[in-house]
Amino acid sequence: MTAVAGRAPGPAGPSLAARACDALAFEWVKLRSVRSNQVTLLVAAIATIGSTAVVARAVASAPAPPPGGTFTALTVSFLGYAEYAVIPVSVLAVLQFTSEYTTGLIRTTFAAVPRRWAVLAGKAAVTGGAALVAGEALAFGCFFLTQAMLSGRHGGVSLAQPGVPGAVLAGGLVLCACALTGLGLGAIVRHTPGAIAATLGVIYGLGALCLVLPAPWKDGVGRLTMPFAASQVVALHPQPGLFSPAASLLVIAAWPAAVLLAAGLAVTRRDA
Amino acid sequence: MIELNGLTKRFGAVTAVDDLSLTVQPGRVTGFLGPNGAGKTTTMRLILGLDIPTSGAALVGGRRYRQLVRPLRQVGSLLDATAVHGARTAHDHLLSVAVSNGIRRSRIPEVLELTGLGSVAGKRIREFSLGMKQRLGIAAALLGEPPVLMFDEPVNGLDADGVRWIRRLLRHLAADGRTVLVSSHLMGEMALTADHLIVIGRGRLLADVPTQSLTGSSARADVLVRSPRASELADLLTARGAAVTAEDDGGMAVTGVDAAAIADLAAAHGIAVHELAPRQPSLEQAYLDLTAASADYRSAGTAAQAEAGS
Repeated sequence: MTAVAGRAPGPAGPSLAARACDALAFEWVKLRSVRSNQVTLLVAAIATIGSTAVVARAVASAPAPPPGGTFTALTVSFLGYAEYAVIPVSVLAVLQFTSEYTTGLIRTTFAAVPRRWAVLAGKAAVTGGAALVAGEALAFGCFFLTQAMLSGRHGGVSLAQPGVPGAVLAGGLVLCACALTGLGLGAIVRHTPGAIAATLGVIYGLGALCLVLPAPWKDGVGRLTMPFAASQVVALHPQPGLFSPAASLLVIAAWPAAVLLAAGLAVTRRDA
Repeated sequence: MIELNGLTKRFGAVTAVDDLSLTVQPGRVTGFLGPNGAGKTTTMRLILGLDIPTSGAALVGGRRYRQLVRPLRQVGSLLDATAVHGARTAHDHLLSVAVSNGIRRSRIPEVLELTGLGSVAGKRIREFSLGMKQRLGIAAALLGEPPVLMFDEPVNGLDADGVRWIRRLLRHLAADGRTVLVSSHLMGEMALTADHLIVIGRGRLLADVPTQSLTGSSARADVLVRSPRASELADLLTARGAAVTAEDDGGMAVTGVDAAAIADLAAAHGIAVHELAPRQPSLEQAYLDLTAASADYRSAGTAAQAEAGS
């Protein structure tokens, strides 16, 4: 036995903060070192801005202002965003777990960081953080682009109006919530196609189902789904019958929170 | 040091690892042998905390893996070299592993050089051959300079040079005082590399012995004799108390007397001897003897199932 065998970490070892930084750095390096992640984000951004411009131009060139006044003027900003930003970013988030499960890399990950809650937290922080930055940038980008094209035509809204900054900020948060939902479902389902289907089901499908429910049920159940709640938080004049924008924001946060909790319970109990 | 205490893992009705208790000592290469499905990989996964044991425990340096802080500085492992993301470069893969355990970045070029991957550090892993992926996996295992190393079938996919390289590396790591556990189904390879052997079958411990003793202790050591007057010599040998078995090709397998005694006896009676060869059983033979019971059980079980199914 030499110095090698006798070597042991100091009695205290690295602090909790240092280990949290380890887990964060681990996930950050993994995220940025796969080039398709960056390409996907870039394409998503271009598609979002492009589709927003097309929608805004169509509205601006309409002979009369669309009904709904400022409600529509703000909501128009998010028509492209709701699909061209949300779908690719959510799928990217799903892949953060499923690509590791399908390649087997997850075993390297769990061998490097055996505390699996720390792995989940690291991925959630990095993926959620990236989605939040992208979401706010795109939400404000889409807002300014749309309002610039609408102003002077049918009168857009401005950030100075009460409720508008909060609505646009919340629009960015929605993308983060969708990404975290995808991340958690990726950890639970582990297979890419199934996890994507589950994620799109939660993000869009449940809301679409509620649209066909009879009257009292449509809003009563629908307000608990992400699409209904998202339309409320970006609306200047919320629809009656649904939750308030603040409560809707809670609904949007509750979905990823519940999914991530279930994901944590699943990954800590299952064999890798 | 790795300690297993009554380690057991069941998957439904199948017991993959069955009450395994053993210690893997530092300073030597320990070969981990067993037929396919014997539970070698499962045992390694249990040691790494990837699978949760049904009962018992696996300890590394006295602690469960999941309780280790920055575990890659304690245990380096390679289970599956193909379990990597092909879109990453070798350097970025190692960088992610290094930062996850607070390992200094200057260690990355060191392990790349050590594993002969220095010139392909910037290449994406999907362009690597299996042999290169094995080297990358070994590089990742060595990053944290851990006192315990565990490799599952590390010579898979390596060419002859690669096999020699890994043999030297394993011996070097053990000579450093590290604990080195290597699984393999290649008996010849283990005979050359391992100082100590752990043999399991159906998840149970079959042998935990120095490599030498597994070959030396077998009752199969004998002497091959060929002679034009074979039956005459056989009678003389039997009279001396030796056991003689005819071999298919005309030779005789003699046990109970050594080669010198056979030569002396033949010379004393003027019998010509064309071949006289003491035979040590190969490690492979010793291994087959050890695992025969579990392998037989396994095939019998499969046959019974097939019959029941038809």
